Amino acid sequence: MRFLIAIASKKYSEPTLRVGLDVAKAFQACVTIACVSPKPSSFAQDQIRLAQESMERWDFEQPAINVLEWAYNYLKEGQFIAEEALEKGFQKRLLSKRAGSRGSIVLPGQFCDRIELILRSGRIIESLRNEVRQNEYDVTIIGASQKRRMAHDLIQYIDSSILVVKQIDFSRPYRVLLAVDDSRGTLKAVKYGIQIAKAYGLKVDVLTVSKRQRFGAGYQGASDRACRYLENARVKYNRLMLVGDPVTVIDESAGDNHIIVMGDSSQNPIKKFFLGSKPQEVLETSVCPVLIVK
Amino acid sequence: MNFPQIILYWISQYRWLLLAGVIGVVLLLLPTPANLSPEGHRLLVIVVITLILVVTEPIPLPATALFIIIAMVYSAIDTPNNIASAFMNDAVFFIMGSLMLAVAIVKQGWDARIALGIISITGNRTRRIAFGFTTISALLSSFIGEHTVAALMLPIGMTLVRYTSQDGENAQGLAAILLFSIAYGALVGSIGTPSGGGRNAIMMNYLAGHGAETISYARWMLYVYPLVLILIPLVSHLLWRSFTPEHHYLDSGIRRLKVQVTKQGPISGREVGGLIIFALVFLGWIFLSSRFGLGSIALTGVVLYIITGLVKWEDINRNTHWGVILLFGAAIALGHYMRSTGAALWLAEGLVKFLMQGSEPVRVLSDIVIVGMTTIMANALSSSATVAVLGPITLNLGSDLLHQGLITAIASAFGFFTAVAAPACAIIYSSGMVGARDFLKAGWKVGLLCIVLLIIYANTYWRLWL
Repeated sequence: MRFLIAIASKKYSEPTLRVGLDVAKAFQACVTIACVSPKPSSFAQDQIRLAQESMERWDFEQPAINVLEWAYNYLKEGQFIAEEALEKGFQKRLLSKRAGSRGSIVLPGQFCDRIELILRSGRIIESLRNEVRQNEYDVTIIGASQKRRMAHDLIQYIDSSILVVKQIDFSRPYRVLLAVDDSRGTLKAVKYGIQIAKAYGLKVDVLTVSKRQRFGAGYQGASDRACRYLENARVKYNRLMLVGDPVTVIDESAGDNHIIVMGDSSQNPIKKFFLGSKPQEVLETSVCPVLIVK
Repeated sequence: MNFPQIILYWISQYRWLLLAGVIGVVLLLLPTPANLSPEGHRLLVIVVITLILVVTEPIPLPATALFIIIAMVYSAIDTPNNIASAFMNDAVFFIMGSLMLAVAIVKQGWDARIALGIISITGNRTRRIAFGFTTISALLSSFIGEHTVAALMLPIGMTLVRYTSQDGENAQGLAAILLFSIAYGALVGSIGTPSGGGRNAIMMNYLAGHGAETISYARWMLYVYPLVLILIPLVSHLLWRSFTPEHHYLDSGIRRLKVQVTKQGPISGREVGGLIIFALVFLGWIFLSSRFGLGSIALTGVVLYIITGLVKWEDINRNTHWGVILLFGAAIALGHYMRSTGAALWLAEGLVKFLMQGSEPVRVLSDIVIVGMTTIMANALSSSATVAVLGPITLNLGSDLLHQGLITAIASAFGFFTAVAAPACAIIYSSGMVGARDFLKAGWKVGLLCIVLLIIYANTYWRLWL
């Protein structure tokens, strides 16, 4: 499996990096840590490049390279990098030798074959979309954004599962909230949820929400199937069948002490684009980490 | 990603392009207003589309520049040859030359010596150093342009921050005060002379085109430089009030700067050569620009830097955004045709009618309109593009061409409000040491001060003493 972790700054990306690496470790996945430096206005592009050359003479790196160096040190301290690669240190010159708009440092990992640090420049969604398309990642992990549009664009355009890390408190015990229904993505979501729960010894709440009092066969079957998978995997779970608006119920049930895992909507993309979808709304309104499995 | 998703992605990426197209078609289908020529109507449609494309940048700026050219040709604004002629003039030469000179100057490595010069005068106190940064940035940017100054001074400011606060984390206030002193100082200074920015050269060109009296380099300074000198301490004071530095003495940073200068050794022949060439360019601007133009003299300096080996063509080529030059050329051509088709006059008359509601035009009110419009547009576009598009309109908003032209050029430098408004702001923002919110925090105060002072200054000093 391949995981992509998108980071932006030392100040805000520490939880994203920590959760991303932990989850990747649980899945034994290869990891790429990407820092996307925003593309400046074309009017100032050449002047900024000139200023950066001037800064390099004074041993200052552009902020995105500093962020990746911080990520490298985090990997080093957390012993994620194989020891033989540590001697070379952080080879920032490899980030400057860009192929197109992508520079990279490849390191052998302790829990996977390779960990890659990459530098991209451009618009965040466009850069992540291109990265995911070119390298076929299974999961993209990213911190929460205050921009409402970001959740929409992530769901709509990124071709991988998406884990959005928000408001996480590492000192608290978490549970997995597995939201299941009769959509196509549910089964994969159950498998991902089980793997996360097993890796961290978390208990699972299997939640099915119906708008009507009566649960249809599809919903009932999905919940039964999820519970069977959990039993087979020997993961402790609690089954919930609640009535109400799905997004509200999921948010209320999750509170701030769950990791929500749910499948992507099976609606057609045009409908999703204009009307949104449940996963998108959950992503926007929840106050805890959310994994949308595609 | 399936086909509908690809289409939706394309739409989301190019929604502004589509919107510009739709607005363009709707405007084109509207009947031509009375007192406006059909060419003027079509040209205004091109202007609206261009503004949307430049502000939102759904396509690269060079493509927008090419769009302007072909749109003017296909909508029969003029013959292809005439449009091509309007595309290039001395103002474009100047913009091209000043971007190249910036590369040449930054490559000379004067930054460390400038830093030490400032420190030797100001001492080690943060407040005095910040004032020194504002002053030197302003004085230098009057002659070498704001972006060059920001590129030169940024590492100096960053060195002081990094080596004063070991981890650099606990010095956000210090970083803000030093870097904003550089950027805002450079912006304030860039109004002082015609060579302070491409916008000034464009305005000089428009003034000549409108038949206004010729304004020389020295006369521009006589008109505007006192305002620069008034603004320097006020801007520095406002910045001090806006940010609280964590360190009031910068000894460690200063020691590091001294080490950097020591590493460079004594002044070399190359550095002297670089200075002499710039001095020649400067003298050329003062004494010869009315005859040869600012642009030709700037380009002469570039040629001298190249043939003396002080800068390589590869460096200039790598750091010069030819697409932006193309866009400025196209914007100037737009400005030219806004005047010749009568579109600028029609817009200006409409604006005057709307604002004055039948009463006699009041100069202060028209100044407020010009400064307000220009400042808003300059913060969304670039300052030079603002003057190129807005200049022909503001020159029609009254009878004193020089007055209107100068306040337009000056107000276009007030890009204090956002991180992308001016290259100097974008440069300090790219350091990662200041955030977008810092621009709002300090920008509105400095911006408001500059706007108010400019209106008072233009209606007192220019009217009473000049």
